Amino acid sequence: MSLDLFNQVAVLVIFSINAVMLTVLVMLKVVHRHRRLDHDRRRTAYLGVLSRHLSMDDYNEPITETMAEDPAFLDALLDMRNALTGDDASTLGRIVNHHGIIQRQMRYLDSSWLLGRRLQAAVALAELGDEMSAETLMRHLDDPEPEIRIQCGRGLGRIRWTPAIDQIVSRFGTEIPWVSTRFSDTLVGYGAKATWPLLAYIRINHPYETQGVTLALRTLAQINDDQAVGPLLEILEESSDVEVRIATVYALGELGSPEALAALDALLDDDEWALRAKSASALGGLGDPAAISRLLHSMRDSNWWVRRSAAAAIAGLPGGIEALYTALDDEDPFAADAAAEALVDAGELVSARRRAEQEDALAEPLLAHMRSGWS
Amino acid sequence: MSWVGYATVAYFIAMQAYLLFLALVSAAALRRNHHLRRYGRVGEMLSSRTTPPVSIIIAAYNEEAGIVDAVRSMSIVRYPRFEIVVVNDGSNDGTLGALIETFQLEQVRIPYRPDLESAPVRAIYRGRSGVDITVIDKENGGRADALNAGINAARYPYVFCTDADVVLDPDCLVHSMQRVVEDRARTVGVGGNVRPLNGSRVQLGHIIEASVPKRLVPRMQILEYIRNFLASRPGWSWMNAVPIVSGAFGIWKRSVIVEVGGLTEGHMGEDMDLTMRIHRHLLDRGVPYRIVYEPAAVIWTEVPDNLRVLRRQRIRWHRGLMRVVSDFRGMTFNPRYRQMGMIAWPGFVLFEYLAPMIEFVGWFVVPTAWLLGALDTTALIWLLLIALGMGLLNSLIALVLDESFGFFNSPADTSRLIAVAVIENFGLRQMTVLWRIRAMLGGKGTRSWGNMERRGVTNLAGQQ
Repeated sequence: MSLDLFNQVAVLVIFSINAVMLTVLVMLKVVHRHRRLDHDRRRTAYLGVLSRHLSMDDYNEPITETMAEDPAFLDALLDMRNALTGDDASTLGRIVNHHGIIQRQMRYLDSSWLLGRRLQAAVALAELGDEMSAETLMRHLDDPEPEIRIQCGRGLGRIRWTPAIDQIVSRFGTEIPWVSTRFSDTLVGYGAKATWPLLAYIRINHPYETQGVTLALRTLAQINDDQAVGPLLEILEESSDVEVRIATVYALGELGSPEALAALDALLDDDEWALRAKSASALGGLGDPAAISRLLHSMRDSNWWVRRSAAAAIAGLPGGIEALYTALDDEDPFAADAAAEALVDAGELVSARRRAEQEDALAEPLLAHMRSGWS
Repeated sequence: MSWVGYATVAYFIAMQAYLLFLALVSAAALRRNHHLRRYGRVGEMLSSRTTPPVSIIIAAYNEEAGIVDAVRSMSIVRYPRFEIVVVNDGSNDGTLGALIETFQLEQVRIPYRPDLESAPVRAIYRGRSGVDITVIDKENGGRADALNAGINAARYPYVFCTDADVVLDPDCLVHSMQRVVEDRARTVGVGGNVRPLNGSRVQLGHIIEASVPKRLVPRMQILEYIRNFLASRPGWSWMNAVPIVSGAFGIWKRSVIVEVGGLTEGHMGEDMDLTMRIHRHLLDRGVPYRIVYEPAAVIWTEVPDNLRVLRRQRIRWHRGLMRVVSDFRGMTFNPRYRQMGMIAWPGFVLFEYLAPMIEFVGWFVVPTAWLLGALDTTALIWLLLIALGMGLLNSLIALVLDESFGFFNSPADTSRLIAVAVIENFGLRQMTVLWRIRAMLGGKGTRSWGNMERRGVTNLAGQQ
């Protein structure tokens, strides 16, 4: 092939592809504009249809196959589902069942090869939260698409499907972090029902893995069920994994049980600075002013983060602000700085200025500390 | 045609093939991203207590005109926990005064961790206005120095380094931090989608309507940014070989920046230098990591709207690139650095750094070959058409990819961008090549930063 012919073919091919791209661009522009406007119009119309179904007993305009497959219909349905409560929500549920909408979305989730459609079906099933879909949602907890796994977990949480708790917990150690974090949010929604499955998972796995166990501990912290305190103290005793111990301390702090006071107090002398810092924060979470004297001692720690955590913890305890004002005169300048930072964070600078105007002597140390300039 | 001519053509074809490969990989990556944006539950991060907090760090030097708007735009970002750290880098205008007055700042004496070196800090201020803002007032030391001071003052484990002349999309943090939460153990950096705001309508720190300005210079840059951020970065990110996380939108794990010694002051491409140093540091130690790009995390920035300022910016960028290429030459085609050393970085060096030189040589070789009769007129025309067609194709792919984001609703905007994809080949592109050659020659005028002539985002936006 001569060079000229090669050039001609090349130019022809390149400009043909350019023409195709230009056509695609124009078509996308037209379709997107049309879809945006038309989607809103159809959604409004479907909201009207659904409202009539809800408000009129004898209203029997069919929800056709075409209508039920329209993404705008699903959007309208989900908007309405989220706006309704009580009897109205149940009525809407019956309408949805009667017209086979759940079954259709389950079918899409099972067999569609379009990612968009499967995602939409998973979102719809999660939002509608119908028990009929529980088995399908359970099956798709192993879907290859992470976002679908998240939606399935969310849907099961919405249904409060108890058999799903163990299934979700067991995936903590193997799931990618994005999915397991969302699973954790789902379990928080189950409340105390998830406490024992989580504790069982932690007990069995803490000697072997860290990621899933620490997430389970953080989930327990958010569920805030007092039953977890005893087993958590045992885990704190048994575990040698620093990350697991830190997460356990965090959970104990969030649970805020006085039972944990002695164990947390002892950890303020641990060799690991991160554990000392977390224990200081957790002691603040217990809300017991008895911890102030120990925390004041931790404000002289060699690690700045421990000092900062201890000071912040003191600020949240009853009588803690006064203790921090006193610590401004500490012979250790780092402890005094930590106290000043915690007082500023607690909004004391404004109060101190106001107090100073009223000639309150308590305000003076903080203002003096600020006046001494930053070095 | 001589061997030089054939080499030039071969280089050109290889470059276009590389760009096309990146564009196609980017298209595949964006397709999935498009579905997730529509149906994903990023919003759940907003109510989750496991969402990691972020420190937003802004370096400000003589930004009196726009600093307050910028901070306001940042303060209304949708994210559960973040702080804003503004570093006043020894401004000699009213930057600090504007911040003190608007956010009711008070000087505080609180601990400051000098993990990274920076010019002396004069004072630290905290806000009382409800916005979690800390202002570091320091002596002038340059942008990198200011960011280092901000990183020192940051309280949270992730730092979002940005500029004072930007408008944030309200969801930019949640979208970018989603990538961190996806894989917290490995993710050390996230880059975002930077878009020019010239011509768009801004109100109260929000983009109300994105639009393409009529002026050619910013319009050309809009197309350039779209090509860069949609038709190549998603591809690099897919390979885990992003060679640059933009200085206007970079989220980093604070501890990793501290490990590599922070940003390099005086470097004209400090964002690329930092990204490459982090790659090298972690690859040398065999630490599993990833630096990703998130196209849904959008930030709007002011770009030069006249040739004089654009010239200065491009010379500076190319000087920065030259230094980075020299500093990291050991990574080029080095299998120790895996896909970074074998694909992304060599591609960047060959087709970004060397491109102006080769194109410049082509300007002489091709006409000379034509004058000497080694290249006939028809062949010359065909070659020029191939060059034009390939360049146009890259721009059109980028515009098609951009369409899924729906920023430019008006057909007029898209038509203007298509027009500039053709027009830029006749003058603007050649000018850019000349500026980059000028940067390579060095000397006076290529070693200073120059002024951007900022007018504040609200004042600039809407200008045609």
